[in-house]
Amino acid sequence: MPPADRQQHLAALRATIADIERKPALAEARAQVESAMGGFPQLQGGLVQEIFTDRSHQIGAGLGFALAQARPLLTGRREAVLHLQLAGESASAGLPYAPGLESSGFASDRLILVRPADMAELLWAAEEAVSCRAVAAVIAEIGGNARRFDFTASRRLSLRASAAGCSLFLLRAGPARPASAAHLRWHLLPAPSGPRPYDARAPGAPRWQLRLERGTLLRQESGWLLDWTDHGLADVSFPGAAGRKGDGAALPRPVPAALADRLSQTA
Amino acid sequence: MDEEAASHGLWPGQGLADARALLPGLVVRALDGPGLAAAFADLADWHTNLSPLVAVMGPPGSYGDLAIDITGAAHLFGGESALLTLALDRLRSRGYGVAGAIAPTIGAAWALSHFARSQIVDGTALAERLAGLPVAALRLAPDQIAGLTQMGLRRIGQLHGRARPALEARFGSSLLLRLDQAYGHAEERLVPRLPLAEYRAERRFPDPIGLMDDVLAATGDLAIQLAHRLEKQGLGAQQFALLLYRVDHKVMTLAVRAARLTRDPVHVTRLFTHRAERFSGEYDAGFGIDMIRLEAGATGPLDPVQTGAFATADGLADLDDLIDRLDSRLGAGAVLRSQQRASHIPERAMRLVPAQSPAPRAQPHPRRPERPLRLLSRPEPIAITAEVPDGLPAAMLWRHNSYRLLRAAGPERLEAEWWRRGQRLELVPQPDPQTLKPAEQPPYVAALPRFDARAQTRDYYAVEDETGCRFWIFRQGFYGEPVAPTWYLHGFFA
Repeated sequence: MPPADRQQHLAALRATIADIERKPALAEARAQVESAMGGFPQLQGGLVQEIFTDRSHQIGAGLGFALAQARPLLTGRREAVLHLQLAGESASAGLPYAPGLESSGFASDRLILVRPADMAELLWAAEEAVSCRAVAAVIAEIGGNARRFDFTASRRLSLRASAAGCSLFLLRAGPARPASAAHLRWHLLPAPSGPRPYDARAPGAPRWQLRLERGTLLRQESGWLLDWTDHGLADVSFPGAAGRKGDGAALPRPVPAALADRLSQTA
Repeated sequence: MDEEAASHGLWPGQGLADARALLPGLVVRALDGPGLAAAFADLADWHTNLSPLVAVMGPPGSYGDLAIDITGAAHLFGGESALLTLALDRLRSRGYGVAGAIAPTIGAAWALSHFARSQIVDGTALAERLAGLPVAALRLAPDQIAGLTQMGLRRIGQLHGRARPALEARFGSSLLLRLDQAYGHAEERLVPRLPLAEYRAERRFPDPIGLMDDVLAATGDLAIQLAHRLEKQGLGAQQFALLLYRVDHKVMTLAVRAARLTRDPVHVTRLFTHRAERFSGEYDAGFGIDMIRLEAGATGPLDPVQTGAFATADGLADLDDLIDRLDSRLGAGAVLRSQQRASHIPERAMRLVPAQSPAPRAQPHPRRPERPLRLLSRPEPIAITAEVPDGLPAAMLWRHNSYRLLRAAGPERLEAEWWRRGQRLELVPQPDPQTLKPAEQPPYVAALPRFDARAQTRDYYAVEDETGCRFWIFRQGFYGEPVAPTWYLHGFFA
């Protein structure tokens, strides 16, 4: 191949890749991050996010991160979050636990559990769910088995998600980073939690070390240290948020409403 | 008993030794009763292409007699005689020996088909025809027949006029019942093998079809027909069944369930398409399918809704559609919702229900104690070391990995539900966690006979290791007891 042709060929290939990588959804997300300096931004729907953990039993942390992001996406029109997990894996990895969801501030009746028998069915179910107008987010546990989940599959899903405006969280485990068309790729590491008020020996609110490995959300360092509190994700590495560290002991959710009610009666 | 056997002088009821003496080369095989009964049941189901009410007569598991209620169905085949000819001829053409009769009562039809040639008898000629038949045609027990024969009562006509108390005293009330059933004085109910659906649409094919795509295309048409009929009645249905009648007398059934009442033909057809994809492995059209029937069950009132321009978009409807599609493709029990229940025992506090069942809106309840985000359905045994026996756990061994636990909260003591006797909190005792392979299922041990609060008490701890992984573990039993306590891992925090 003559050099000129090769140059042309490379340029064409680069254009194709740029075409694939052009993610209009991400541009909006970036704008939002810019406006929400401090704290972890609330990313809008329609993004495909891969959440990698090192070991498969840390997938609980990945589920927490996904749920924390999915909770604000629930609206009157989009009123369910679907959780997809292979039926054979629940014995070793466990199932989302309704009382645990409630104590984390997620209404458990909003979560629908789908248990397909194999990966092909899981991908089909994910595609159906992502293109449904009534679903706020889909959380798919891919785990370590990425054989059936290739670039083509993830590309299909990301196109569907962008078109329908439904977020897709792919929970994956292991050190490998196979090619995928996800908009964002997170590396999530559990971190020793902050102190719990009144009990120094007890674990505090869940805390994760997050690294953005793919896609950019404005900030150069692209690392976060997050606490999952009742008020959502709090960035504890950011100095301005240091005062909110004690949020783990904040008022439980139903109580502020009750207080407000009483105030209105007395006023 | 076929002709070849009969020509050698064999007859049913003959002793095996006699038969062997007559025919030294006789090969004897036991009758495969259940197999034959199942095959006959398939045949019975296939006959629902004549009329939906088909029953296998006699005690459960029997075979040989088929009862079909053709009320209101004969005109579809050009009259009763044409129906009878069709039913008999198509079986004869496959080499079955078959006899049939159409009569106003099941008893009379049985009698005529067994003891007369195939014919049609209407109500006026019934008594006359029955009178000439032998008493055995009344479906009597052998000893009853023998008794009647001894007394010279050989024909049904001889019984019909007799004093009933005398007959009852001598032969029991079952004789009178059979007599009344034959004459239509006592009602005999036919228990159809397949549940009867109120609304159905069907299509026959002059040329049998085989491809699933053709079947689905026809299903689409039937769904539209059915939708029109349901709409006229202001009804919707939740259960749909598709029956595929194969030429070689087998019936395949596909059933789907909808989360809410529907009659939307597009939705119904799509559900069957998904179910067919799942079914594709075992789909076998054989020599072709010559009839398809679509049935709608579990109907309820469904008001006409505005579609199109002024439709009010409802997110719930979209979600229900999605759940239906997932459920029809992934199979039963694959789409679930969790439901909380009033119990303090972790694994009993939640249960999974099909997502299609109506979801009761959870009441806002007071804040619960902290619970893990994921729960293992079966707690896994672990080994724990602590500085002092009742102190906080300091190290954990789980799935051959050790974890150094830096922080812990607990214990949270959960005891068995005292209002349940025994067995509820019992767990499988572990031989030795270190030698147990993860895949190995521990042996099941029977429940304790009586409630024993001390043996079934769990102390839960929330622990965190040095990397920040958070687990929910518990200890069952107490230190200082004859039986050493065992530790389990039950869940993962976020």
